[in-house]
Amino acid sequence: MAPSPSWVDRLRIELVVWTLDQRLYDLPRSARIAHRREVRENLLEAAHDIGGREAIRRLGNSRQLAAEYRAAEFGDGPRHSWVATGVAVATAVLLMTSWLNEAIHAFGDGVRAGQPHATGTFTWAGFRYVQSGVTYAFTDGQWTSTGGAFTPLTWILLAALAVASGRLWRLLPSRGQGASREAASQRG
Amino acid sequence: MPPTHDPQLLKGVLSLLLLQLLAERESYGYEVVQRLHAIGLTDVLEGTVYPALARLEREGRLAAHLVPSTAGPARKYYLPTAAGYDALAAGAAQWLSLTTLVHGVLSRPVPTSPSKGS
Repeated sequence: MAPSPSWVDRLRIELVVWTLDQRLYDLPRSARIAHRREVRENLLEAAHDIGGREAIRRLGNSRQLAAEYRAAEFGDGPRHSWVATGVAVATAVLLMTSWLNEAIHAFGDGVRAGQPHATGTFTWAGFRYVQSGVTYAFTDGQWTSTGGAFTPLTWILLAALAVASGRLWRLLPSRGQGASREAASQRG
Repeated sequence: MPPTHDPQLLKGVLSLLLLQLLAERESYGYEVVQRLHAIGLTDVLEGTVYPALARLEREGRLAAHLVPSTAGPARKYYLPTAAGYDALAAGAAQWLSLTTLVHGVLSRPVPTSPSKGS
């Protein structure tokens, strides 16, 4: 019986499997786990026969392998990307939250600069269409605020960004695909 | 050194080869690669075969089941479904028809210069 792969080979294999897994995030979770397990098992077996380095070389580039797995799952045509959607929406929400938060603080600090011992309630309409109004409660120059949330329009724009960045319209079955599936079912 | 094969030609018939081999005996991914190497296709790499198996499984032409292994993790064995056998029969007939035609043309002697058109 061939010797077991060394721990260095096992580490190499785990690195390849992990790299592949990172590139399969658009696949359904169950398919991703199944591919990960299968590739690991096959690599370990190949490492028994030809060594870890050669087994990994024969597996090829993990980017290309991931592309082929995605093509196997979704077909060869252009595809949607949940990863792109997640990155775009998360970035937009972070940037907008940061920007609007800065604006809320700027207004409060501006009031305090004008009246260092301000006491009472102030309101700011916020950025029109993007943000709801902000109410400030001042007590001797110290303030707290409420409001300033995203407006429905902002959420609609974020939803549009999600669809556009991930090309989510590709999730909809096209007329051509529907017709070919129908023809295939009639043949079957 | 074993002869190399055009990857594009191989890609076109890889599904048929996999269906045929698995119809003869169910196998797991690495074993299928070894069997391909044993018939002379030594330039077929694992990275080509594993996604091809995944595609055939998604298309419903292969079924898979896990078998515990004493040497490590459970192995995923593949075998053709009824749709896989149908696809194999249809594909093999098309391939044999095509290769007969192509062979008929390519086996003619090549003249030293093309004849003039009439």
